[in-house]
Amino acid sequence: MYFTMFMLGFLYALFALFLMAAGMQLIFIGGIVGVMVVVQYYMSDRLILMSTGAKEVSAAEQPELHRMVKLLADRYEMPMPKVAVIDTAIPNAFATGRNPKNALVAVTTGIQQRLNERELQAVIGHELAHVANRDMRVLAIANFLVTVTSFLMTMLFWNMLFGGMGGRRDNNGGVVMVVYFVTIIVYFIGQLLVLALTRYREYGADHTGAEISGDPGRLADALEKISGTVNTIPDKDLRKLQTANAFLIIPAALKGEGSMNLFSTHPPLEERVKRLRELEQRMRYGLR
Amino acid sequence: MSTVIKAEAKLQSLGEITPARRAGVIYRNDENNQFQSDIKSELNTVLYVGEGATKTNFEITDDDRGMRWIVLEDGEFNDLVSSVYTVGNAIGMNGGSDNLLAAVFELYFTGTVEDNTYRSGLRTYWIYRYDRKSFYPFVPTGDNEGERDRPTEARLGQDLRKHGLAIEKSLTEWMGLWGIPF
Repeated sequence: MYFTMFMLGFLYALFALFLMAAGMQLIFIGGIVGVMVVVQYYMSDRLILMSTGAKEVSAAEQPELHRMVKLLADRYEMPMPKVAVIDTAIPNAFATGRNPKNALVAVTTGIQQRLNERELQAVIGHELAHVANRDMRVLAIANFLVTVTSFLMTMLFWNMLFGGMGGRRDNNGGVVMVVYFVTIIVYFIGQLLVLALTRYREYGADHTGAEISGDPGRLADALEKISGTVNTIPDKDLRKLQTANAFLIIPAALKGEGSMNLFSTHPPLEERVKRLRELEQRMRYGLR
Repeated sequence: MSTVIKAEAKLQSLGEITPARRAGVIYRNDENNQFQSDIKSELNTVLYVGEGATKTNFEITDDDRGMRWIVLEDGEFNDLVSSVYTVGNAIGMNGGSDNLLAAVFELYFTGTVEDNTYRSGLRTYWIYRYDRKSFYPFVPTGDNEGERDRPTEARLGQDLRKHGLAIEKSLTEWMGLWGIPF
């Protein structure tokens, strides 16, 4: 975990130095990325609400759900987050928000129907753990590098194709090439680090959530119950999946990467379930 | 891809499926890509020239969602699978790896599902997603998005996994392809 964080920071610094050495217009890059980060950081809850069709619900509309969230939020000693429901049969849950004060936790109607109370509580406990651990902030920082580099990759690519921006054609084609390749390398290393980071965060939330709810086994049950159900097979067409989003810089925020999804594919579900079961054993028999 | 042949042979011997003659590769066509803009002549080379060429028939179709399909037809299932592999590989190796969406095999299902119904000759597809490097079954029940036979897919998925196919573990990634042009 700390090693990954360190490596990320190291990579950032190295990359910034390199760009400056190559004479890139940092103000230009910084401006666009800055706007993007601010949008993602301060509006993530609204962006997520918009992109997932989640509707905020009041305590009057969903008393049970509110009671459950309140109970867990109290145990984390955090203010009551916003509560939202997504009307879909696909069972899922997520949390977002840059800090506990601005947190939002959402569940789908599918997960409400399929899980019993203790399982749902364990799931919400896991999501609130992401908020308590400030995972969205860490992820935003980690995504930053990947966003910058993917943007640069696209820009440099066009730059090479059409030869220089603003008609300034000095003899620096070679430099652009080198910058381009280094950008690609940084991009891929950055992505690997983001993956490693989210994996640790996911295990961390499983662990924290289990400590708070005192019920790691129920989260394991919930994960198994949901992942194996036929109803999770989606209605969606594969062609709607945007593979060619190299020209956009916002999608990272819109694809829900600003939130912590219950079913992120890293780490694998089997491994999470295994660890939760072990944790359950340890908690039950008081082993450490 | 060789696992496709193994899984297919096993299920066929169990009387669960019969292979069809067709398969396809779907990708987002990129006009700026040299290989993709010459796709017809390139595939003629890839599939017909040289020793061991499968000489699989192919057709190029564009669907109404802006995707291009290479539809392959071959009576020999082994050759069909190997041609699908070759086509995907050729597109991927020539700067199109991000354009590749999926490879799709057509097979007929003749097994029994959980609710004990015997479904003879039910058309199924095995989709291979290039981005996730995994397979999953797809059984559409209509042309509209969302119309699919989930119980049969789940059942088929279990069987395919048992017989060595790398089945996508996360069911939420089993996205459909409605209106497959073969």
